[in-house]
Amino acid sequence: MSGCNAQRVLRRSALLVALSVWCAPSAWAQRTHVLVAAGLSGDPAFKARFSNAVAAVRSAAATRWGVTDSNLVVLTEDSATYNGRSTKENIGAAFVALSKRAQPGDVVLVLLMGHGSGEGTSSKVNLPGPDATASEYAAWLAPFGKQQLVFVNAATGSGDFVPVLSAPGRVVVTATRSAVEKNDAEFLQHFTRALTTDDADVNKDGRLSVLEAFRFARAEVIKSYESSNRMLTEHAVVSDSVTAMRIAFGRTATSSDPRVATLVAERQALESQVAALRGRKASMDSTAYDAELEKLLLAIAEKTAAIKAAGGGR
Amino acid sequence: MTRRILALCLLHALGGNSVASAQPAVSPVNRFASEIGTAEASATRGDRQDAVARARRITTNYEQQGARSSSEHTAAGRAYVLLGNGNAGAVRSALAAFDRAVAADSGNLEAQRRIGALFLEKYNAPEARASYELVLKRAPTDVEALLGLARVEEFEGKGSAMTTARKALAAAPAHPEALTYIARLHLDAEAFDSANALAERAIRADSTRMDGWSVLGASAWLTGDSVTYRRALRAATALQPQPSAFLAGLAEAAVRQRRYAEAVRLATEAVRLDSASAHALGVLGTNQLRLGDMSSGRASVERAFALDPFNLWHKNTLDLLDKMRSFRTVTRGRFEVVAPADDAELLSLYIIPLLERAYDSLALRYGYRAPTPVRLEFFRQHADFSVRTVGLLGLGALGVSFGSLLAMDTPNAREQGAFNYGSTAWHELTHAFTLGASAHRVPRWLSEGLSVLEERRANVGWGARTTLPWMLAYRTGRVRSVSQLNDGFMRPRYPEETSFSYYQASLFCEWVEITKGARALPALLTAYRDGADTPVAMQHVLGLSMSQVDAQFDAWLQQRFATELQAVASPSGADSTGGAFVMTMRVAVGLLETKPDSARVMLERARGMFPSYAGDDGPAWYLAQAGLAARDTTQALHMLAEVTERDETALAANRLEAELRQRRGDLPGAAAAMERVLWIWPYTAGDHEVLASLSTRLGDHARAVRERRAVIALRPADLMEARLELARALAAGGDTTAARRELLSLLEEAPSYEAAQQLLLELRKTGGVQ
Repeated sequence: MSGCNAQRVLRRSALLVALSVWCAPSAWAQRTHVLVAAGLSGDPAFKARFSNAVAAVRSAAATRWGVTDSNLVVLTEDSATYNGRSTKENIGAAFVALSKRAQPGDVVLVLLMGHGSGEGTSSKVNLPGPDATASEYAAWLAPFGKQQLVFVNAATGSGDFVPVLSAPGRVVVTATRSAVEKNDAEFLQHFTRALTTDDADVNKDGRLSVLEAFRFARAEVIKSYESSNRMLTEHAVVSDSVTAMRIAFGRTATSSDPRVATLVAERQALESQVAALRGRKASMDSTAYDAELEKLLLAIAEKTAAIKAAGGGR
Repeated sequence: MTRRILALCLLHALGGNSVASAQPAVSPVNRFASEIGTAEASATRGDRQDAVARARRITTNYEQQGARSSSEHTAAGRAYVLLGNGNAGAVRSALAAFDRAVAADSGNLEAQRRIGALFLEKYNAPEARASYELVLKRAPTDVEALLGLARVEEFEGKGSAMTTARKALAAAPAHPEALTYIARLHLDAEAFDSANALAERAIRADSTRMDGWSVLGASAWLTGDSVTYRRALRAATALQPQPSAFLAGLAEAAVRQRRYAEAVRLATEAVRLDSASAHALGVLGTNQLRLGDMSSGRASVERAFALDPFNLWHKNTLDLLDKMRSFRTVTRGRFEVVAPADDAELLSLYIIPLLERAYDSLALRYGYRAPTPVRLEFFRQHADFSVRTVGLLGLGALGVSFGSLLAMDTPNAREQGAFNYGSTAWHELTHAFTLGASAHRVPRWLSEGLSVLEERRANVGWGARTTLPWMLAYRTGRVRSVSQLNDGFMRPRYPEETSFSYYQASLFCEWVEITKGARALPALLTAYRDGADTPVAMQHVLGLSMSQVDAQFDAWLQQRFATELQAVASPSGADSTGGAFVMTMRVAVGLLETKPDSARVMLERARGMFPSYAGDDGPAWYLAQAGLAARDTTQALHMLAEVTERDETALAANRLEAELRQRRGDLPGAAAAMERVLWIWPYTAGDHEVLASLSTRLGDHARAVRERRAVIALRPADLMEARLELARALAAGGDTTAARRELLSLLEEAPSYEAAQQLLLELRKTGGVQ
């Protein structure tokens, strides 16, 4: 098994601790589950907007994050497309099925889009048929205590979902800070762009943390309002930025080739050293800091080149 | 400091304080008549202490015993007015007293007029107008009410103030206040002879009025007539031993002639003589700010506002100064750019090198070096620019020059494609030179003409050009002759007249250069500096009387635009329908879809009729479209170039030209067109990326670096990628040190960024990295 090969390399390496992270057997180091639910659009323009977002996220989940079809559920107002209609009943059923599939440690992304209504525990996203309340979503999320759960409500007036759904180890993102912000919101399109392109990957590590995506979308929303001289009428919220920084989507660098795995591990160790060096920056002479930084960065660059030369990916 | 404007319109509702409601007018007795007259005389003399003491006696009595007649209410109101400096409560009480006076006797027109004056003094023009109109309903020729109405119209920026004031004068030809007011309007329009004559008449009618001497003194000071000035000052000093008001008026007149430094000096003296004069403090602070002395200016305006909390100008200015605390200043070379942070970073990339070039060019041409650093302030809200310039909203201009302080809109303060910020900045900087070279004596019309001319010299397509509306206005005699051109700016008769006057003035400057040589224009400035007025300057430099200037310049225009004038002449005579040119264009555009070949023929004909047509809606633009439709890119490009060479805001035409030229491999031409785009609208990251890429291909690495920096200033979604592109551009330009610095900085934040790592390794290979 490739994992065993990696273990043998580990024993010869001084980087035991760092390498232990990288011995996953497949190309995807973590399993990610995605549930997308688009509510009623009510208007051709919104329908197009939601459809584009659904298609883009679905595609990114499959191609960029390696989410398998069985772990990817998409519900929309039209029954013919994807996995059925986004009724309350279907959404509830999808959560139940998801809770059975998801293993401890898996990442679970739930993305809602549409028009919000109600407030507090009765906040909703308008669905075909009866709407589910925030309290009901909270109940559906209850079984996911051991997963890395990210719940994004990109609908208008979604802010009241945050207090209702927040829980330790869980990230809740909403397009607005309260149920009152009901004007047409731009957050969805920017958050979608964050999930589906490299633009939001600020540290360019090939993985997109929830915090990176959130910050990107929030900044783009602000920029859009500013550039058109409009007053900002939507203020996105993230419930737990520390957890949001930890949970990420995308491929993790792994390889069944022990040479590559070693190089990857060594590179990660160097990256950790950069992080440590940055922590000491304030106390260091700037010339010494720059010299040390440059040395480490060159070493990282060399490792990347070596990984590539050895046939490794990122 | 609490800055709360107390709208006087609410004062009626608030009513008075402790005074009992108005008693019936039992007799015409006025116990306060003598005391209030004496108090006001003290105030006029500048003896504020005595005036206030007397006014207090009146108001105390009034508040304790009430009034026995309408005239006593009026007198009490006048006393409150004297107590109103820094006392909003007294202003309210004054209004309440005047209201009671009118309630007690609806025929008390004096009280009604004073209500109007008080409202106007506290910047409430609608209420002031209503008060004066009530008076005029009862007495249509009431001189003071007509004058009050004229002042309201002036406040509202209406052009009818002079007409209304003349009605007042017609009703009372020797009325000193009417004469003084009209004299002052002439002074504002820089018609000094008329101002002098009217002020002298006002003084003959009543030599004890300060305002007549003020206008006469100001006019004499502005024209360098030291004898008359000294006479006026002596008279003013006799009336007011510490002539603060006279000096403050003089400072205001100096401002109107753009002599800001002298205005500050005069206002400083006025404040020294009367430190409680809100008027003098306001003039001082406003002009300190205009000279860039921000901290002193702010302090003066704050003091003025504390004394007159109704003052909208000062309130707006202080609010704006608060806002400007978040602005960023970029200082480089001889310039300081002050703007909202994002704009400062972006715009300074372009505007500072442009202004450096402008500075050198203008210094050479005018033999004068404007004091540095020159401060250029950008405002993202046009309202802020307007407040910075005149203290109020509603200014139509794009930019302003106070000498070495320039202010203007950012490009995104207006609609995309509405103006060219490069030419605007060049225009305003030119004022700094022409004002300085003439010791701020150059008249407005010539200063504007020179600025527009310099715009045209600066870059291809910049500056006002020949438009159809101007041509029609010229043909129908609606553009003023040179001798009257200042009125085109100071007293425009119709909305477009100011913009027509800019172009007309610039043509005059061109004519001077063509007929008298390049040195004639600086020589005109020197003549003004040495005290010449326009007729003397023209005679001295051009050797022509004003009538000769008018005639010869007009003949030159007729000759230069003979073709165009014929094309826009309508068969019916003096109408302004645009003649054969407009007719041909209309038909041609109508045929574009259905009969493109015929349309092209007609458009070519129209082009021949109006060869100087500037704008992106003329024959050339349509011929470019027709060329594109016929896949004739050579023709399309030829026509597009004609548009972009004559229209500084032709955003779409420039973008199209860039695209076509790039497609045909004309990279320098494409880059030039993109460069023009960026002077119109610098906020599209894609435009910068295109120009960066073109520049790299052309080996213009410095420009590529600038463009990459611009992309970063626009806060791109993928900042790391933008920074990597900057590092690449720096490396390509051979600046490996800067490239390395940029790379290390971005990799410090994103150590896993492969593309950046790769560049780092490449730099090491070429010796850029240790």
